[in-house]
Amino acid sequence: MTKLPIKISAKNVDVFYGAAHAIKSVDVEIADKMVTSFIGPSGCGKSTFLRCINRMNDTIDVCRVTGDIMIDMEDIYDRRVDPVQLRAKVGMVFQKPNPFPKSIYDNVAYGPKIHGMARNKLELDEIVEKSLRRAALWDEAKDRLQEPGTGLSGGQQQRLCIARAVATEPEVLLMDEPCSALDPIATAQIEQLIDELRSSYCVVIVTHSMAQASRVSDRTAFFHLGELVEYGYTSHIFTNPSDKRTESYITGRIG
Amino acid sequence: MNLYHSKIHRSLLVKDARTQQRNNAELRFRAYGLTAVSVGIVALVILLVSIFTSGMTAFQQTKLQVTLELPEAKLDKKGQRDLVAMKKVTTIGYFKVLGDGLIAQLERLGIETGLKAKEVREILSKESAATLRNAVLADPSLIGSTVTMEFLANGRIDGYFKGRVDRASAQLDKNVEPGQLDIADALAERRLMYTRFNFNFILAPDASDQRPEAAGLGVAILGSIYMMLVVLFVALPVGVAASIYLEEFAPKNRLTDVIEVNISNLAAVPSIVYGILGLAIFINMAQFNQSSPLVGGLVLTLMTLPRIIIPARAALKSVPPSIRDAALGVGASRMQTVLHHVLPLAAPGILTGVIIGLGQALGETAPLLLIGMVAFVREYPAAFTSDSGLFGEASTALPVQVFNWTQRADPSFVERASGAIIVLLVFLLIMNALAIFLRRRYERRW
Ligand SMILES: Nc1ncnc2c1ncn2[C@@H]1O[C@H](COP(=O)(O)OP(=O)(O)O)[C@@H](O)[C@H]1O
Ligand SMILES: [Mg+2]
Repeated sequence: MTKLPIKISAKNVDVFYGAAHAIKSVDVEIADKMVTSFIGPSGCGKSTFLRCINRMNDTIDVCRVTGDIMIDMEDIYDRRVDPVQLRAKVGMVFQKPNPFPKSIYDNVAYGPKIHGMARNKLELDEIVEKSLRRAALWDEAKDRLQEPGTGLSGGQQQRLCIARAVATEPEVLLMDEPCSALDPIATAQIEQLIDELRSSYCVVIVTHSMAQASRVSDRTAFFHLGELVEYGYTSHIFTNPSDKRTESYITGRIG
Repeated sequence: MNLYHSKIHRSLLVKDARTQQRNNAELRFRAYGLTAVSVGIVALVILLVSIFTSGMTAFQQTKLQVTLELPEAKLDKKGQRDLVAMKKVTTIGYFKVLGDGLIAQLERLGIETGLKAKEVREILSKESAATLRNAVLADPSLIGSTVTMEFLANGRIDGYFKGRVDRASAQLDKNVEPGQLDIADALAERRLMYTRFNFNFILAPDASDQRPEAAGLGVAILGSIYMMLVVLFVALPVGVAASIYLEEFAPKNRLTDVIEVNISNLAAVPSIVYGILGLAIFINMAQFNQSSPLVGGLVLTLMTLPRIIIPARAALKSVPPSIRDAALGVGASRMQTVLHHVLPLAAPGILTGVIIGLGQALGETAPLLLIGMVAFVREYPAAFTSDSGLFGEASTALPVQVFNWTQRADPSFVERASGAIIVLLVFLLIMNALAIFLRRRYERRW
């Protein structure tokens, strides 16, 4: 199925919250320079699995991850891997836009600053501009860089969060329902942006909107009750699902 | 039958019984609330009025001006102006000289009195002899000349000008004669006796039982300030560090649950228990100086810590988790997440908690009694000496001074105690205002 190079490969991944078994032996290979979407009814473990990829689950005490997740053939759960370094390489955009209560500039500059990516203010300015352009926010924000990021509209805030995520030059971009708090126009803008990001990143997006998945993604993975039920080309999954459960979900019978 | 007609028509313009009942219940509830609030306000007003009416006079003091000769024969017999020799003359000697000067002044002014010389002298405060002696020792060249100086009047005379003493009560009081009041009136008429703002109430140290007119809060205020500094510089970093650790880093398990419950319990432990603890740890074991602001401050720190940790944790908890996710998501370490993002957002809440904790510590009396801060201290404690170390010199504290003064026999101390309460309230007011200011200033929306 895959011709493109594999970026992320998961083998036999199980996730437990205490005794609750949230992800059940998932195997998946995610290709680079592509958009992969995770769909499935709410509570099926999409976010949980996504958060395994940048080890955000480490911050949850009761959460335990087993199995292997490799990025570029390196086990990210290896003892030598520092999750802080990993998260600079694997950026994340959250469901609710969550800019820092700081200026637009500082929001974008924060990541590069802590990772020492700029040697001086000039370089930092450049990174900020480049990231805001990537996130299609530059034209709207260039005259108000010192204003608080929390003062932007919801869609702009989400694009600011995308700018913040791409500022650290990640290779993988994880998005957890990035449009669920946005209106249709802002959603369309973000979707267009995702389409542009495809060429430079390995994008993984969780969505509960099947229309969105079919619009933006090349591959789709359908999760149900912690299991990866079906994974393949988006067009294939939506027109000709091979599993009963996938079919019921996309025709609206589970959800 | 038509279903449509079976339903009774109800007009919205008429309240039905149930609605009426609910409205009445609401009215009753509001009345209870209003009553409770009113009772509280009335109690507060009564408290403030009673404190201010009996305490404001402490900020005023009656003084008299005496022009007198300083005879060398009595104050420096050898005539060599040698300080060591001059110090042999005690305040008793000076009191005689001063009293004679007063009697001479009355004669000059033509104020007649049938009192004995001793009774005339006692118009002056016992403290005034020390005032004169200190002035002479500071400048021995005054001896032999005629000087005009201001002296404190006796507490009873002061009370006369403040309305606490009148001729009828003077008749019954063996500490004051109606004749002395006549002299006071005559001096006041000539503007030689007057009531002025009393800086010494705030600046001077405490005075003995016999001279309430000289007693001040200087040492107590200094001691309280020292203790607040100790509390601030120990409890703030320790408390904030503990809350950050518990809230952001500690695993959630049995042990941290136990710690959590115990912190809440510690906040409710009666303060006197901390006094006993402090006595055992800081004085008996660590051998710090008794009565010192260091020990007092440390005891208050123990007491204040849980009261800082609880609001600080609440403030940290109220920072939305999405901010932490955002910071961790771009690759900040947990430490960076806390220092760069969570702590600044929690700071107003933490500071408010700290200031309220400090305010409680400032007004705390019981534990300080146990560690000997109730001692009579006339020397201003130094912040640092090589002998007793940082904040190691004996001191008192504001609330303890209030307690101390209310225990004394002379009724003039009642006024002093109320005045001290006013000073304490002013300090608390300033701190609470600061807390409100900080909260307004740094409160951020997200
Ligand atoms: N922090 C957590 N602690 C305990 N259980 C959790 C936690 N987060 C998610 N879960 C559980 O894991 C399962 C999957 O959740 P999630 O990954 O958020 O689903 P989705 O994103 O697909 O809606 C759910 O049953 C949820 O209750
Ligand atoms: Mg989710």
